Amino acid sequence: MTKTLKYLALAIGAVVFAYPFVWMIAGSLKPEMEIPNLSLWSSNFSLTSYAHVFERIPISRAFLNSMFVSCSITALVVVLSSMVGYALAKLNFFGKEALYLLIMFTMMIPFQITLIPQYVLMVKLQWTDTYLALIVPSMMSGLGIILFRQSFRGIPDALIDAARMDGCSEFTILFRLIWPLSKPVILTVAILTFMASWNDVLWPLIVIRDRSLMTMPQLVTIFVTGGEAESQLGSLLAAATLLALPVILAYSFFQRYFIESMASTGIKG
Amino acid sequence: MLVRRFSISALCVVIVCAYFGCSKAGGPDNNTTGSIELTYWPAPNVQEIQLADSIVHEWNRIHPDIHIRMQPLPVSQSSEEVLLAAIAGKTTPDVCSNINPAAMSEFTKSGGLVSLDQFSDFDSIASQRTPRPLLETFRSGDGHYYQIPWKSNPVMMFYNMRMLREVGVNEIPKTYSEYFAAAQKVTRDTNNDGQTDIWMGERDVRPIWWQRLFDFFPMYIAASDGKTLFDGTTVAFDNEYAREVMGFFQEAYAKKYYPRTFFQGGDPFLLEKKASHFSGPWEVAVIQKFAPSMEYTVAPLPVPDSHTGPVYTSGDFKNIAIFSTTKHPKEAWEFVKFLVTAKHDAALLEITDQIPIRGDLLSNPTFADYFQRKPVMVVFAQQAPYTRGMDSAPDLKEIFDAISQEYEACAVFSRKTPAEAIHDAVDRTKVIAEWNK
Amino acid sequence: MSLTKKRTAYLLVLPYVVYFVAFVGYPLCFSLILMFHRWDIVTPMEWVGLKNFIRLAADRLFFKSIGNTLIFLLIHIPLQIAVALGLALLLNSRIWFRGFFRAVFFMPVVVSGVVVTILWQQMYAYDNGVFNGILSAVGVPRVPWLVDPGVAMSSIALMATWKNVGIYIVLFLVGLQNIPRELYESAEIDGATSARQFFHVTFPLLNPTIIAIVVLSTIGGFSLFIEPYVMTGGGPMQSTLSAMLYIYNQAFYFNHMGYAATLGFVFALIILGVVVLQRKFIETEPT
Repeated sequence: MTKTLKYLALAIGAVVFAYPFVWMIAGSLKPEMEIPNLSLWSSNFSLTSYAHVFERIPISRAFLNSMFVSCSITALVVVLSSMVGYALAKLNFFGKEALYLLIMFTMMIPFQITLIPQYVLMVKLQWTDTYLALIVPSMMSGLGIILFRQSFRGIPDALIDAARMDGCSEFTILFRLIWPLSKPVILTVAILTFMASWNDVLWPLIVIRDRSLMTMPQLVTIFVTGGEAESQLGSLLAAATLLALPVILAYSFFQRYFIESMASTGIKG
Repeated sequence: MLVRRFSISALCVVIVCAYFGCSKAGGPDNNTTGSIELTYWPAPNVQEIQLADSIVHEWNRIHPDIHIRMQPLPVSQSSEEVLLAAIAGKTTPDVCSNINPAAMSEFTKSGGLVSLDQFSDFDSIASQRTPRPLLETFRSGDGHYYQIPWKSNPVMMFYNMRMLREVGVNEIPKTYSEYFAAAQKVTRDTNNDGQTDIWMGERDVRPIWWQRLFDFFPMYIAASDGKTLFDGTTVAFDNEYAREVMGFFQEAYAKKYYPRTFFQGGDPFLLEKKASHFSGPWEVAVIQKFAPSMEYTVAPLPVPDSHTGPVYTSGDFKNIAIFSTTKHPKEAWEFVKFLVTAKHDAALLEITDQIPIRGDLLSNPTFADYFQRKPVMVVFAQQAPYTRGMDSAPDLKEIFDAISQEYEACAVFSRKTPAEAIHDAVDRTKVIAEWNK
Repeated sequence: MSLTKKRTAYLLVLPYVVYFVAFVGYPLCFSLILMFHRWDIVTPMEWVGLKNFIRLAADRLFFKSIGNTLIFLLIHIPLQIAVALGLALLLNSRIWFRGFFRAVFFMPVVVSGVVVTILWQQMYAYDNGVFNGILSAVGVPRVPWLVDPGVAMSSIALMATWKNVGIYIVLFLVGLQNIPRELYESAEIDGATSARQFFHVTFPLLNPTIIAIVVLSTIGGFSLFIEPYVMTGGGPMQSTLSAMLYIYNQAFYFNHMGYAATLGFVFALIILGVVVLQRKFIETEPT
């Protein structure tokens, strides 16, 4: 009896969490008048709304922009943060403690305080409306460094010393010895970074005005709020679907890693 | 090995970034030997690019020594911001035909524009084309003209004739009382589910500043016979007209002729769920595209019952200006004159369905053919002389934001009387003006 | 330690130091300067002394926006904890499709906030939205989800809960699995009902998880921006104007960079204050 109730509650929960997405996809295919219906089926499915979106906004370009930006940021964060994490975990140098405290401090500063001056910096460097403004300010991650440091500390010193005896440089040790041993943490940092940059809207809204450089969530936001959708509900839903689809696809393949990496840090997406 | 591969890929990322970064920054090239080259920025929409293309093509054919390079204004959220940024970075074009008069004071404050009255034939050209009283409204505070009025999009009222006729309304409402009398009949629940499903009108109730450019502001201009928010530099809408307009919208929402929600599920005018709609000439093409079978009429805005005489409205003016970065002001002025000839005004009408700001639209035979084919546009042409633009006050957005907040509190939610709302809006406007002095 | 090794260490951390100076240190210092200026980015900066702070002190809307943000947190956090804990308890037993359910509940977390906002805006529609459709089908009057000043912020909080609850379910699951089985066994021997077990064993032992969740969602909640930006524009009657949205408007709508920097600074102080208070309050509570 309680078992049935449990399953019932879970099933209702699953509907509550999944239905909106299914409704969105169905709505993006339905003719305008039928969208508000609760039903998910229509005999008049068509791609008209998608055609409208592609006609109004350069969404495929925005997809490529988002891909390029998020991949660059992820690659940079993984490489650079693991370098710092390795130095903090396995090397001794003057100012190490101070650096660690500095990183912790940086993570605690609310971004609200640096948002405006960071934008001003972009203006002064003349980076607004360039990829640089999207990539460079996110190429380091305090959280990434901390995660790498924690993980690398668990690697036995003996292993590293042995490599040093063989004449390996610290860079070789990091990328050839430590990296292959640290796939889970690399994956965690990569997923977290990629998700955060893929879904970020506020920063692109601020530094990018040129439509051909906009990221996908930004372009969709402007499409929705700026009236370009000409109040066509189907087009809004089609744009939203196009924005959600890549993430949902990636998620359905790697959902275990997504959930685990999020759980390991408790950070919002 | 792996290290090297990594540094190479990191390097690649950097190079690619730098490439994309710089490809934006490379400004206009230097002109080719001997001949003069001017850059012209039209608005970035399809129709205006097409128009600019054809005019520039013709110019370049006639003037082999002065080459015009057409570049659509870089697309962004607002062309004012792009232009201001361009002024700051000294990357302005020679000529731009998407100048919003409301942003004029910001453009001139930063010294970005050339005064046009320095050209001896400015006055004759401009006054011949645009009626004098309207032309005067584009004079800047220092007495100079930095823009030549080009085109406008008067805000008018679109009515769905079938919906009005259905409930026995055969006359287009002219006054507030007539409008509400029609509204009372039109607004109703057609499927008896207890929810109104047909409305007299509807406005986005979110407090978004530019929404007021399509309701409060034109209605205020109409009620006040062409007054705007400022008189020179003093705040001037603390008057009966503003209160009447606020009262009009309050009544519309209080009596539920306008829904208090924002309508989702498509444009309610196109879906024939509301009978009247504030809009401009561009709406004609939108209706054609999304609701070609709709039967509609365009009419002047409703006015207070005591009002007499012609009905004014706001026009979304876009003017032409020459930027002070130009090396060839004379040649640029020649090109500007070329843009505003009757022939090219006819092309403007034909290609964009926007209204040139000239007095002889309905008398000059050059335009007769167009208006014969598109009779609905005649109403806009008749309206055009009775339009007013936005004041050229700094921080107009902030002022309209303040008005929006009061509009919401008073009109939409009836939390304030119109008198209180206008009083508070005026107060806030004064504070904003004071702060930004 | 050899010299080359030390040099390599500096080489390894150099990118971070450069990054820190450019993107954290410099902006921090610059914001301290900017607060005393008026600047619209285009024209040169103008020194105004404490004028920005005087303006802030009288800025009714800024305080309202902070109040709104706090209201959001007060609704969002308890709701989130209740829903997450409930679903985690359901999942924390031997059931079929456990992974499937967990994956479904987690899905909104990975999807962009923009998508969620567009979706919920449609579902919240007064006349033809999904929610009101269901309500009127069962004979309940429609709810003005986003158009009533008294309801709108709750609606946004409900949506934010739906979006983020997946993370907290997972965190609770971790917490629940860390509770030793023996504790339940001995409680059962003592004859405790399952309700008593929950309040005397589960809940106290989950306290660290709850603290983490409160702190995390407070920090996240303070940056509430895209939801009201897309859905309501801050209305109706400024009831969903969050502090971040207000700062954004001042900076990028009205071009008051100096004033926005002042607002950002004061807001950051308030966030730090709340987080510190929360820590103090929760940590002194008996576990």
